[in-house]
Amino acid sequence: MLDPAFRVETPEGIELELQPAGLHARACAWLLDLLIRCMVIYIIALVTPMLAGLGVGVFLILLFLVEWLYPVAFELMPLAATPGKRLVGLRVVMTNGLPVTVGASLARNLLRAADFLPVLYATGAISVLLRHDFRRLGDLVADTLVVHAPRPASVALHQDIEPLPPLRPLGREAQSALVRLATRAGRINSERLDEVAAVAAPACGPELRAGPELTRRVLGVGFWLLGGRRE
Amino acid sequence: MTPLQFERTYASAWQAFEQQLAALGKSDGWLRKRRAQELPPGPDFAAAYRQCCELLALARDRNYPLYLVERLERLTAEGHQYIYRQRVFGLDRLASLALREFPRMVRAHRAYVALASVLLIVPTVLLTLAVMRRPELVTTVVDPTQASQYEQMYSRDAESIGRVRDADTDLEMFGFYIRHNVGIAFQCFAGGIFFGLGSIWFLLENGFFSGAIAGYVVARGLGGNFFPFVATHAAFELTAIVLAGAAGLRLGHALLAPGRNTRAQALAIAGRDVAIIIYGVVVMLLIAACIEAFWSSSVWIPVPVKYATAALSWSAVLLYLSRQGRDAD
Repeated sequence: MLDPAFRVETPEGIELELQPAGLHARACAWLLDLLIRCMVIYIIALVTPMLAGLGVGVFLILLFLVEWLYPVAFELMPLAATPGKRLVGLRVVMTNGLPVTVGASLARNLLRAADFLPVLYATGAISVLLRHDFRRLGDLVADTLVVHAPRPASVALHQDIEPLPPLRPLGREAQSALVRLATRAGRINSERLDEVAAVAAPACGPELRAGPELTRRVLGVGFWLLGGRRE
Repeated sequence: MTPLQFERTYASAWQAFEQQLAALGKSDGWLRKRRAQELPPGPDFAAAYRQCCELLALARDRNYPLYLVERLERLTAEGHQYIYRQRVFGLDRLASLALREFPRMVRAHRAYVALASVLLIVPTVLLTLAVMRRPELVTTVVDPTQASQYEQMYSRDAESIGRVRDADTDLEMFGFYIRHNVGIAFQCFAGGIFFGLGSIWFLLENGFFSGAIAGYVVARGLGGNFFPFVATHAAFELTAIVLAGAAGLRLGHALLAPGRNTRAQALAIAGRDVAIIIYGVVVMLLIAACIEAFWSSSVWIPVPVKYATAALSWSAVLLYLSRQGRDAD
């Protein structure tokens, strides 16, 4: 299976699709987080000496918090992602698609100590590469997934096409293919669109050759099937 | 029904649901989280969610265009998150964790706890005795400069026991202890994922190390400083390390003998259980670090008082873990 989608069934019997994030996206997020953490520690190291006697103590305590609780704190926020993951467009969810719980977030982040071994998350990387759902050891223990945040929904592109009824009755699959072509026409370049539209010639304009005119008719039929009617 | 008719019929309902979701998202901020939980979305929210589920099923079945299906998928996924989300920590959940769940979970893992205790205590005792007899053995575990540093920490003229030379304040040592001890405990836990071997290794290693130090310090005639120093916080620190190790052993056992589950399932189940133990471990390590930095190291507290508090904390910890929350067992 090349499709890495992770399907979750809700109690209503609906299947939701999650897109687990692969090694590259996660490594980028980790690098960004590392940078952010280093910057935070640098700032703390600049500021704490001003507290004189308490400085080193406060520094060490803050260092501890940044080291261990930085990911937990951010994963429990509504966006369920550390700043690095947020920048890459990832988030952490339970394998049932629900928001990550406190215990799970704690477990997956403590297990970093194991995933890190022997160097630079080698164990975690191997686990991610071997599994079709891209989970590292911490994810397995915590029952979590790192997924791509849902993209903004695509918009329908209603161009100024005149709806045309098909020349002959169409089957279900042919109908939905034409509708999909019509709603995506704006994202395909015109030469390719002409080529694709030519396939539908028998139902839209058998006398025409592949070209803008046939394409206009095919899209018109698609728009008619979508529900467009002449005013 | 054409897709456009479908969209026109339900557009207003979807818009209303989208607005409800957006409002929930806003009130779900960091500080206002509890309020949002106390005011769950009304019954019309659940109805709107169920309608979305139905329409999504219809839209998929009828092969409606992608933009419609995607919009419904998004609405359903977001609604699903709100309807089925687990309640986050409230005060009542924290109380139940401290009063019932944590000690019960520890008792449910008593075999692992016993094994982890043995793995930590046996090497400690062995090396303490060995190094007491022949102090030069300390170099098998600790390098000489480190050993002399420990000797200096517990020496009689130290202004504060157990403090490294260049540390100025108790707070600094608190910060040091937190990082150091939590790191050890987390290693003992995380190592368990490697079929329990990591936990075993880290428990033994820490046992050898602390045994060597204890034996060496006693051999140098500083036992009178050392034992009152470690006795009190050890109740929390050693117990926490043992519990972390036990949690790691549970993970390892789940991998080795998953029973009727797949290994991944067994690991996830074990993970859910041991998370509760880890909450307790973190709190115990915090308590240990506080005691170690601000009480154990104080020179002005008489030794008998320190031993008394040590006896008190050991019995408190052991009683808490063995007795607390039994009625709910």
